[in-house]
Amino acid sequence: MTLKKKWLGAGVSLLLAASLIAGCTQSENTGGKGNSGDSGDSGAAQTENFNPTGMPIVNEPIQLTFFTGLAGTNGSTPFEERLVYKEMQKMSNINVKFEFVPFDALTEKRNLALANGDYPDAFFTARIPAADLMKYGAEGVFVQLDGGLLENYAPNLTALMEKYPALKKALTMPDGHIYSMPSFYDPEFLPMLIGTPLWIKQDWLDQLGMKEPQTIDEYYNFLKAVKETDLNGNGQLDEIPYSGSGIGPFIDQIKGAWGVGTRGLGHKYVDVDPETNELRFFRTTDRYKEVLQFINKLYTEGLMDKDIFTQDSKTLYAKGGQNLLASTINPNPITQFNGEGYVGLGALKGPHGDQLYTHIKVPMVWPGAFAITNKNPHPEATVRWMDYFFSEEGATLFFMGKEGESYTVQPDGTLEFMDHIKNNPNGLTLDQALTDYVSWMGGSYPGYVNVKWFKGSESLPSAIEAGEKAEPHQIEELWYNFNYTPEETEFMSTVGSDIHTYITEMEAKFVNGSASFSEWDKYVETVHRMGVEDYMRVYQTAFDRYNGK
Amino acid sequence: MGQSQTAGIEGVALKPIQPTGKKKGKLYLAVKRHWRLYVLIAPVLVYFAVFHYLPMYGVQIAFKDFIGTRGIWGSPWVGMKHFERFFDSFFFWRLLKNTIGISLYELAVGFPIPILLALMVNELRQGAFKRIVQTVTYAPHFLSTVVLVGMVVIFLSPSTGIVNKAIEAFGGEAVYFMTEPAWFKSIYVFSGVWQQMGWSSIIYLAALTSIDPHLHEAARVDGASRLRRIWHINLPGIRPTIVILLILNVGSVMGVGFEKIFLMQNSLNMESSDVISTYVYRSGILGAQYSFSAAVGLFNSVVNFILLISVNRIARRLDQTSLW
Amino acid sequence: MRLRNVSMFDLINGSMLTLICLIVLYPLLFVISASISNPAEVLSGNMWLWPVDITWYGYERVFHNSDILTGYVNTILYTAIGTTVNLIMTVLAAYPLARADLPGRNLMMALIVFTMFFGGGLIPTYMVVRDLGMTNTMWALIIPNAVSVYNILIMRTYYQSSIPGEILEAAAIDGSSDFRTLFRIILPLSVPIIAVMVLFYAVGHWNSYFSALIYLTDRELYPLQLFMREILIQGQMEEMVNAADSSHAQTIMDEEAVKYAIIVVANLPIFLLYPFLQKYFVKGIMIGAIKG
Repeated sequence: MTLKKKWLGAGVSLLLAASLIAGCTQSENTGGKGNSGDSGDSGAAQTENFNPTGMPIVNEPIQLTFFTGLAGTNGSTPFEERLVYKEMQKMSNINVKFEFVPFDALTEKRNLALANGDYPDAFFTARIPAADLMKYGAEGVFVQLDGGLLENYAPNLTALMEKYPALKKALTMPDGHIYSMPSFYDPEFLPMLIGTPLWIKQDWLDQLGMKEPQTIDEYYNFLKAVKETDLNGNGQLDEIPYSGSGIGPFIDQIKGAWGVGTRGLGHKYVDVDPETNELRFFRTTDRYKEVLQFINKLYTEGLMDKDIFTQDSKTLYAKGGQNLLASTINPNPITQFNGEGYVGLGALKGPHGDQLYTHIKVPMVWPGAFAITNKNPHPEATVRWMDYFFSEEGATLFFMGKEGESYTVQPDGTLEFMDHIKNNPNGLTLDQALTDYVSWMGGSYPGYVNVKWFKGSESLPSAIEAGEKAEPHQIEELWYNFNYTPEETEFMSTVGSDIHTYITEMEAKFVNGSASFSEWDKYVETVHRMGVEDYMRVYQTAFDRYNGK
Repeated sequence: MGQSQTAGIEGVALKPIQPTGKKKGKLYLAVKRHWRLYVLIAPVLVYFAVFHYLPMYGVQIAFKDFIGTRGIWGSPWVGMKHFERFFDSFFFWRLLKNTIGISLYELAVGFPIPILLALMVNELRQGAFKRIVQTVTYAPHFLSTVVLVGMVVIFLSPSTGIVNKAIEAFGGEAVYFMTEPAWFKSIYVFSGVWQQMGWSSIIYLAALTSIDPHLHEAARVDGASRLRRIWHINLPGIRPTIVILLILNVGSVMGVGFEKIFLMQNSLNMESSDVISTYVYRSGILGAQYSFSAAVGLFNSVVNFILLISVNRIARRLDQTSLW
Repeated sequence: MRLRNVSMFDLINGSMLTLICLIVLYPLLFVISASISNPAEVLSGNMWLWPVDITWYGYERVFHNSDILTGYVNTILYTAIGTTVNLIMTVLAAYPLARADLPGRNLMMALIVFTMFFGGGLIPTYMVVRDLGMTNTMWALIIPNAVSVYNILIMRTYYQSSIPGEILEAAAIDGSSDFRTLFRIILPLSVPIIAVMVLFYAVGHWNSYFSALIYLTDRELYPLQLFMREILIQGQMEEMVNAADSSHAQTIMDEEAVKYAIIVVANLPIFLLYPFLQKYFVKGIMIGAIKG
């Protein structure tokens, strides 16, 4: 027996040792530790070829390769063959090779590329998380864009950052540098930032003889009336006052009526107390408790769909399609389920007089939409290439294509896709037809979205109306996302994540009644014991950094 | 009677021609005589060496703060930091309880049922009905998890699901299956049984084919009933297969899959449905927590391995069958 | 043999199995019906057994996709070659490990089982595959998964418990080498277990997508599952929809129909493998061997 065990042990150790030795000799990547964007020797030759302004960007063509994330809805046509990039190549003289990586495999392949040292000149539409930007930026893998590259060669993005200082703050990593270019929505178009208003069926309001709710009480009365009246005329009381996919969106929409969430949707746990001007963990305040109590009332009185905790959006839309929904939250009832006659509500006034529209998204959607690597021999040219898409002509090219080829200008100035794209003769859907021209389908691209050249459901008249109603009550300051140091990220991924999970769980229980509000104080105590104090400290530090202290 | 059934190849142990010499001599001769067997297994060993042992150094990711471009060797060593982080989590005990609870429940219910099914199907005469039963029961294995969970949610919906409609028809009140923590594990396990029982029974059906029909003949002549014959001949006949599969299943207790749980989870049933794999997923949303998930994975593997060795040892004592 | 003799046992057994079949069958019929029904009816619970408001949109979408043919061809190729490699490797390992007289077999067994629990992870494995030049080729899907420890164990157990010692003794006395014993005697007796292995490995290859996702970049090499996922995921993207009219609403609903159609289309071929293999689950293979 012992002899066998000896052999076993020896065998395993031998194999493990062999593995370690083999691992040592594996070709591993050596990440260069340069921090500037300069590429040394080729600098001189490059300056001759390179034009700091105007087109073409380089006189003799150069070749760049991009690691490119590909969405499922973006088709499979290589980018090089699409109109937008063919035009760009003609203009700039830069040949870009786009190496496709499906979104499915993005994280793994990104990590593999970095670990193998196999990464190309830039990451494009690759959804790099802020934590990675920070980590690899510090290693010198991602090129520092501030301190020269942006100021000199990215006039458009720089102009945007000057006009909207919060954008700059959100792009700056905790070490003070910028390593990427973002996916950015126009902050001035409110309907886009609202995204998903609280819709309510106007026809049924009229039938009930009620006017559009301006306060929480009026909204409540509407819901109650819906429950008791056959409004869709089918002889059954099957109308659903409010339904959704989870209770989160609803909480986000109405919490402004109790004055919480004063800094927007980018920060779901911390805001600023308007009375003390201090950071506040608002999820455990008494005001927030009242929000939950209100929702609990709706749930127990049957005014909220019992399926709300489990149904997905498709099931919700099926109900909408059957004309059962009195109010719901989504991008737009017409585009989602052919729902006619809905209007979006503005800010509702709560019992204490608060009337705050807090459901406003952060305009900077992806910080790491584009990043240049230290293997790129032409960082300046690359920056100029990418920056072009942040200009008005560039953005129009990116989203609409070329006038006369893919879009036309209407008499009122708006841009419309041409017929062969909108009503494709071969029966292709809009997304499919577009794959020959543009590449924005699926999102996550670096660029600047403006209603002038991008028409989502947010530009429908009903959405614009909702935006106008929300405007007078919108929050005074919208915080963009904060960026955390690696230690802070770790804290947020552990203690932070646990706190978030516990809160989400307990709130669901308070709403559906499985936890009684008499336990509220104990609940708050538990949350605080989990580490709210440290949480707030991390938040304060990040906030101070955000404000440039 | 049962002995010859389990003797198998184990019965062959030819004596060496050489007189009993030193232990080393015996071993050397044995190896030399069986050189062909080594040749047979050689390609497989090479495969494991290249594709499993060569990359094995990657295990240390669990003890490092992985930075891609520095590689696994160059990344900074942090020792047990990730493990501590995991153990310190507010939900650690709940995660452990749920993970192991679900696995044991699955084992208790899902392990015997395929065996029963195989025994029952085996009793059918060869024919259309037998083929139909086998084909129908194994079909659900091919449904993707997304579709399976989608159907479960539809069937169990409190407002429109047929299960609740049936309950109400009998005068009961609708049960909110998917949001009651108490129901979660049962729904998870029984939907899994439904999906996998046919597939899992296949191996037992194959094992049953090797049982000598003469044994049944003899027993029938002796007057034994069908049930007795199944109990005394069929079951012992497939006992080695059962034991091996049981050992392997115990050795995967910590590995409760991610996808199905994630799809069935919601904020109301979390206390019952939150398992280690979903926790790691949530934790990695903010930023690529590569090392952390490696550490948790390593923890799971170690626990699984210890369980496997223990059960294997028990099996070796009680039965002749074991992994080694 | 008495043909019409149906005992009480048979009746109970038969009815229980029929009941089980019905319980299993219902959701399967649901899937098939859902694949040709109006998705809104499915989601609202109105469709519960028979199709409601028949629409073929799901299947149209799936077949309109020209990639499907490529995917099918590739998957069949990978499955056939992969399963063959798997079978060979599994037998090569199971037979020697089943021989109690082989020195060091427990050591080898332990080393092999160890790899079920501990491994280096994706990054070092990827490097090995890359260094061997297999990336973006079919071999990256086959060689790194050349054999499954689980299946080796199952086959080894089968050999240990189902092949009587007398056969081997007889062979040894006849002077048969290990090679001959394996080919002439063991393999023919292994037909049931080989049928099981073919099924397990083939289904594994047919359903796999992760390796393809990681190692393949050329679309012409993509297996069916990858294309299927693309179609499935397309329906889930709601971000940045440039839809200013109600056509989008219809698209959302249509994707639901596609979901069910994909299951049917992607799995039908491999699903038919088992009925085909069932004839190999023949009892009494052993007796003939012993008598002979």
